[in-house]
Amino acid sequence: MLCAELIVLKWFKKGASEKPETLEEMVKDLKQSIDFVAYENKDSDQPYRLIYFASLIDPEQLHRDLLPYIKECRSKSLEDLKGILPIENIELSSKLPLIQERLLEGHVAIQLSRGQKVLLVNISLRKSRDLSAPEIEFSVMGPKEGLVEDLHTNMNLLRRRIPHPRLRMKEITVGTISKTKVVVAFIEGVASEQNINTVMQRLEDLDFDIISDSSFIGQMLEDNSLSVFPQMIDTERTDRITGHMNFGAFAILTEGSSNALIGPINFGQLLVSFEDYYLGWNIASFFRIVRMIAILASIIATPLYVAVLTYHYELFPSKLLATLISSRSDIPFSPVIEVFFLEVTIDLLREAGARMPTKVGQTLGIVGGIVIGTAAVEASLTSNILLILVALSALASFTTPVYRMTNTIRFLRYPLILFAQLLGLIGVALLGLFILTHMIRLTSFGNPYLAPLYPPRIKDWYDSFFRLPYVMQKNRFQFFRGNQSKRFKDKKKRKHSLDFDEQ
Amino acid sequence: MSDLEQGKRNDLLISPFLVMFIIHSNQVGVGVLGFQRYIAAYTGNDAWIVVIVTGLIFHIFIWMMYRILSDGTFDIIDLHNKWFGKWIGTVFNLALMMYLLLGTVVILRTFIEVIQAWMFPELATWVPVALYLLLTYYVLAGGFRTVAGICFFGVIIPIWLVFTATAPIKFSTFSNLLPIMDHSLKDFALGTRQMTLSYVGIDILLLAYPFLKNPKSSRIWAHMGVILTTLVYTMVMIVSLAFYSAGQLQQSIWSTLIAWKVVELPFVERFEYIGITFWCFVVFPNICLTMWGASRVGKKVLHIKQKYFVLVLIAFVFTVCVMVVNRDQVDYLNTLTSIIGTYVYYFYIPFIFLYSMIWRRVKRRI
Repeated sequence: MLCAELIVLKWFKKGASEKPETLEEMVKDLKQSIDFVAYENKDSDQPYRLIYFASLIDPEQLHRDLLPYIKECRSKSLEDLKGILPIENIELSSKLPLIQERLLEGHVAIQLSRGQKVLLVNISLRKSRDLSAPEIEFSVMGPKEGLVEDLHTNMNLLRRRIPHPRLRMKEITVGTISKTKVVVAFIEGVASEQNINTVMQRLEDLDFDIISDSSFIGQMLEDNSLSVFPQMIDTERTDRITGHMNFGAFAILTEGSSNALIGPINFGQLLVSFEDYYLGWNIASFFRIVRMIAILASIIATPLYVAVLTYHYELFPSKLLATLISSRSDIPFSPVIEVFFLEVTIDLLREAGARMPTKVGQTLGIVGGIVIGTAAVEASLTSNILLILVALSALASFTTPVYRMTNTIRFLRYPLILFAQLLGLIGVALLGLFILTHMIRLTSFGNPYLAPLYPPRIKDWYDSFFRLPYVMQKNRFQFFRGNQSKRFKDKKKRKHSLDFDEQ
Repeated sequence: MSDLEQGKRNDLLISPFLVMFIIHSNQVGVGVLGFQRYIAAYTGNDAWIVVIVTGLIFHIFIWMMYRILSDGTFDIIDLHNKWFGKWIGTVFNLALMMYLLLGTVVILRTFIEVIQAWMFPELATWVPVALYLLLTYYVLAGGFRTVAGICFFGVIIPIWLVFTATAPIKFSTFSNLLPIMDHSLKDFALGTRQMTLSYVGIDILLLAYPFLKNPKSSRIWAHMGVILTTLVYTMVMIVSLAFYSAGQLQQSIWSTLIAWKVVELPFVERFEYIGITFWCFVVFPNICLTMWGASRVGKKVLHIKQKYFVLVLIAFVFTVCVMVVNRDQVDYLNTLTSIIGTYVYYFYIPFIFLYSMIWRRVKRRI
């Protein structure tokens, strides 16, 4: 037993530490996987050997663009073959690490004679799902084009929307095992150099094994990883990405992830739905304000219920108090238990709904929401006023356009309820002060999180709590500190305003 | 000399117009909830004039302070050392620190007294004190920019309460204010001395000065801050004088809070609860600013890192606050601060001002 363990240990050690010295050794090493192919054809006029991962390359391209040309090639040299092959970016190399890396990227290595030199040809197979409408960030108006998991498709989507020479895309590989390609896209001049340097530096410093999704990178790039507030926006909407790039932000695209990360952001942008830009400015502003009030109400509604009913019931006028008493008279619990019971129920429903297939999830939501809610009131576990409050605040929390922010809002409630139970309204205010301080201190890539509110930058307010018409959005946000502050040219103003019945 | 000057870390500085919020938030504290009767005790229906006059006097102090600080980006700690030498300078600086700490204790303990009197009679003092001081540490750890941010929001968030303070107007008799100017000059002087406590707080400028971008251009904003304070106080005073009769006013300790009871909303009966809750935001900048100032002295004079020294200060303030147990002691603390504040403003600041004038003139001649 012990002996077997030792052997296993030794074998692993050997595998990990011993690097292949020659090409043959490497081939022998890789042969342990069944999808690795080293095919040698000695019978043709031109003996050759192909080395590749069958699972990574496109067999059609191999048969159509590679094999016929190799057979036709009369010369014995790889250089001549390089000239003949109708594929771009062919490399000639004898460096083992490079060869291995390229093989794992889906290249095929061609050998004409025994030796260390190979020709590396890229015929990798790209499979990606079709484009589909964004499912998380749904909108009624506006383009319905979401990112997919394939990096190239995503880059294509962005480039098509911003066909500008200054749209730069910088690539960097992250992850010691997954070797995930990460692309930072930004518009040069519009985005500040300092922000780009910061993000590139942080990406380079990233040390992690497998990057499963862009959110991994998002969490590791954030200024303060202890914070519950998102410091970058996860989005799958291409219009949102390009819009933010035009403000001066950068977007991080990750291979294998259908979400891009936008940064730097400020808190206000988390409350902005991109649909706001498709509606008229007055309507959009109105709904933006409604949304902000909804979010605030959603956070403090139940904590206030706990605070007031536990300590300050004299706050209510006698008529309202009578209603409350009659609805709570049969309930054997203190308000805080009542509230926790309902809040946890709602969060359970939400969690269950998120894990279920869409159709089941909907049914579950209705069953859970209506049946459990009504039953809880009838069984005198909670008051119906609280049921209304909790349902409304749950609804309000889903008005946030950024999914991660929804989670933050749902989370913030619990400590507030706890403090409301401990110190009543004063507790809510003190925890409110803590959250406020935290947000003042928070930064997104070094940019203040609460800007343009604090530090106050009144010039940026044209698109914050409200959105002014596009004519008044001539300047880019100062927040991003880019070089090009003008978005478009000023039209000449009319000299005098027309009177009635004039044209 | 100043630790900010090396490299001028621009990121640490704040824009000049935030001075308005710093000044205003450090002036307005718990006092505004019940300052009326102390002033009215001397000048009766003319108390509002005293409020305005004291406000004008404080503009002179602002002017003096900017003259004191006018050259370079030194704060008062550097200037003390420069003008009085190391030993006397240190004595001055430590006195300044104790004065700031007294400010912290007074405001914190008085506010908790309000909470205990109105909302939680059973609440142990140490609970809110501990929470407030922990929060203060969190703010101070963010640097002066965070402190200024707290000042900013400490003014912005509760600003709407100003409108609710006008609610008693419906039930007021403004003829209470007549006849105007029927008190002796001595009464006015005594009232002004009493009023000083409510205006105290602009001294933080002496320490915050090096943290301002273009400090010289910030003067207008400092004056704006005092004007804002004067407006708030005058309004509250006039409403109180018209709402209460002279006898009633003398009997109500927290006149502003009592007047708030008049506010009627469809779902709120006792509005002063909302008022006190929002007062948490008004009080907090005071605590942060004074603690910040005191820790700056510790850093520059005692050469202790702020991150450790603030802990010492917190322990000190906590102990003192818990030791104050009843209303009489709170009153005593307030009176003490009032007296010390009067000396600081009417003797110390003019003295430093004259000293700096003479010192500069002498230096120029040499």
